[in-house]
Amino acid sequence: MRSYREESARLDESLFAIVERWHRSGEPMDDAEFESLALRIFTYQLRYNAPYARYCASLGITPDRLPGSWHAIPPLPNGAFKEAAIATFDPAHAELAFETSGTTQGVGGRHYMERAALYDAALLAGFDRFMLPDHPHLRYFNLVPNPTERKQSSLGYMMAQVCAARARAAGWYLRGDELLIEPFLADLSVEIERGAPICIAATAFALVHLLDALRERDLFVALPSGSRIMETGGFKGRSRVVERDDLYDELCERFGMTHDAIVAEYGMTELTSQYYDDVRIAREPGHGVRYKVAPPWLRARVVGPDGRTLPNGTVGALVHVDLANRSSCLAIQTEDLGVQFDRGLVLIGREAGAELRGCSLDAEDLIRR
Amino acid sequence: MTALSAVPAARIVRAIADAAERFADADFPPRVRLLDRIVERTGYTLPVVEYALDQLFFSITASALEETIAAELGSLAALDRFVDRTETTQGHARPIGRVAVISSRTTIGVAIVPAIFALCAKCDVLVKDREDGLVRAFFSALAEELEPMATAARAETWVGESDAVDLRDFDAVVGFGSDAGLARVRERTAAHAPFIAFGSKASVGYIGREALDDETQARLLAADAARDLVLYETEGCLSLHALFVERGGAVAPTRFAELFATAIERAAVEFPPGERDARANARLASARNLAAFRAATGSGGVFSDERASYLAVLDPPASEPPAFLPRALAIRTIAGPDEAAAYLERHALPVEAMAIAGSRDEIVNMGLRMGVHRFTTLGRLQRPPLANAHGGRPRVAEFVRWITRDR
Repeated sequence: MRSYREESARLDESLFAIVERWHRSGEPMDDAEFESLALRIFTYQLRYNAPYARYCASLGITPDRLPGSWHAIPPLPNGAFKEAAIATFDPAHAELAFETSGTTQGVGGRHYMERAALYDAALLAGFDRFMLPDHPHLRYFNLVPNPTERKQSSLGYMMAQVCAARARAAGWYLRGDELLIEPFLADLSVEIERGAPICIAATAFALVHLLDALRERDLFVALPSGSRIMETGGFKGRSRVVERDDLYDELCERFGMTHDAIVAEYGMTELTSQYYDDVRIAREPGHGVRYKVAPPWLRARVVGPDGRTLPNGTVGALVHVDLANRSSCLAIQTEDLGVQFDRGLVLIGREAGAELRGCSLDAEDLIRR
Repeated sequence: MTALSAVPAARIVRAIADAAERFADADFPPRVRLLDRIVERTGYTLPVVEYALDQLFFSITASALEETIAAELGSLAALDRFVDRTETTQGHARPIGRVAVISSRTTIGVAIVPAIFALCAKCDVLVKDREDGLVRAFFSALAEELEPMATAARAETWVGESDAVDLRDFDAVVGFGSDAGLARVRERTAAHAPFIAFGSKASVGYIGREALDDETQARLLAADAARDLVLYETEGCLSLHALFVERGGAVAPTRFAELFATAIERAAVEFPPGERDARANARLASARNLAAFRAATGSGGVFSDERASYLAVLDPPASEPPAFLPRALAIRTIAGPDEAAAYLERHALPVEAMAIAGSRDEIVNMGLRMGVHRFTTLGRLQRPPLANAHGGRPRVAEFVRWITRDR
């Protein structure tokens, strides 16, 4: 019997090879390879991730009764990260620990990762392939949590890694929730003067504030050719929600860009890997539909309440199977809704949780503008 | 002058009761024609819709209307003429004028009750009707009973600002909705007009240890609670949103939870689950699986089925608010009323009604501290008597203005 260290190293070796292969050549994983590695990692997690193993046992899945397919791997509800340390190892030895967002109850969770190198390799591969397929050296304007302020933010860490590896320069323009608009505009004008392309990496909510600031100043800023925006995060937990189409329309208008220069990233702290819109790699336009694509070691299942995979074209809840979650849990169930198509995943929305309804919501109908 | 100002109150009451009696007949053609539309609008199954219509229209009787009016105004006659109010004063309850009722989308016929009491007060009434046209159909039947009702009782449908009626033209506005939504409606209401707001509310159940003496009693309570849960898919302000069960009874809370789960499944035979959208399904499945994870790791319990058609969670963390999902309920085991109060305060839950199984005053006192408007028993949460004050407000008194005459 191999030791934990040996087993982990072998799995990581397989994962690094897949990541590197796809990063370099774009070579996908076929179904058999994905299935085989998924079941290997699942078996490993049953052995070393005690809370997940107990959950699986309650569903009748044990080392003696393993699922026959990756589709049948029990997904762990993402809320479980708030309940227990979901890890195959002692979290005290985690190289990375990211905090999940607090809910309305104010209770956050943590995603512990044993090896930062795997996280880094996975995120850079995805970012390169989906955000930077033309290999530009961009100046990054980060409107995401600054990792020097918030070390536990996976988004901040991700952009810090991207900037360290790919940026010709970078700046951070959020302090808490405050948008540092004057430094942003000053630095932006320098880049515009130089005519060098940039990337604005921002949460949707930060972009709304940015547009507010531009509107107040009546500013329209034509970004240099090749510039792009990475939008992420949606409006979860925010009282103010702007329709994504409206947001993108105004970004295009204010920054003199086209819709295919805006890429929405979809990720969650409980995952190691990320989805991106296919707008920069697609061979054909989406005609208003944004398809999400992922690196080959990350697959989504759209499921009904019974957990079974729904046919393509049907709306259901998303279950993510991320092989790079080797040291936590590879199958994560969310409340996010999506539809699977041959071309990719279409995200329906990430909204606030259920709320008190009582007699009615009719007053909102009355005042709808 | 309103359309009904010259009509005797007793005649109005009779007309309303007669129209309701016709609608209480399950074979009454206008009611039958509405069923599919109500099912389509609400997503509830036909048995639930039929039950709701029965509950609504069987409760609207002449005696119930007269009793409610007499309780609030002193007498029905006060609506027609000056009557003695005190030794030195006479009073006459005149209609406040035009009343607008902004009706509900989550439950069935919510607008009808304030509308009929406003009509009893001889007001002109406009109801913002739902897509199913229930109020419009009922008002048609009313007009057949009493001709001036054709003018006094109107139902219209509108969806947005542009085609909405101007609320400043009304002398009272009744609205149902969230606090934010109601605030916006209030802004559009004339300064002189009372705004009768029914904000979002929840209802809770409380089972004292003395009520869990034996399994037979526990089984009955479970059946009653299950009915309160499943009706209207847990969407109404009178649905069961949290259930507190005291420890220390002969039947342990864990056993009660098992009985409750069985009772929910049985209740689903009479009231099958309604249609759910993908988001509700996703939330239910996620809540069920998280509860299963907790149970597997040693905390609480979960009762559900493969399709998550219902969900009963035993002892989720106190930090977790009610799920507000169809047929989903947390059973919280407690030592006594203070623990229940702490939970309700922690989540700032506005409680409309509290169904109690138990005999101790301290339970009712806790409910009073929590601002409960109605106390009842399990199994009756969803069947409020017509005379009950909804949201702590009177039924008819807010639709009249008192004219006094010194004797």
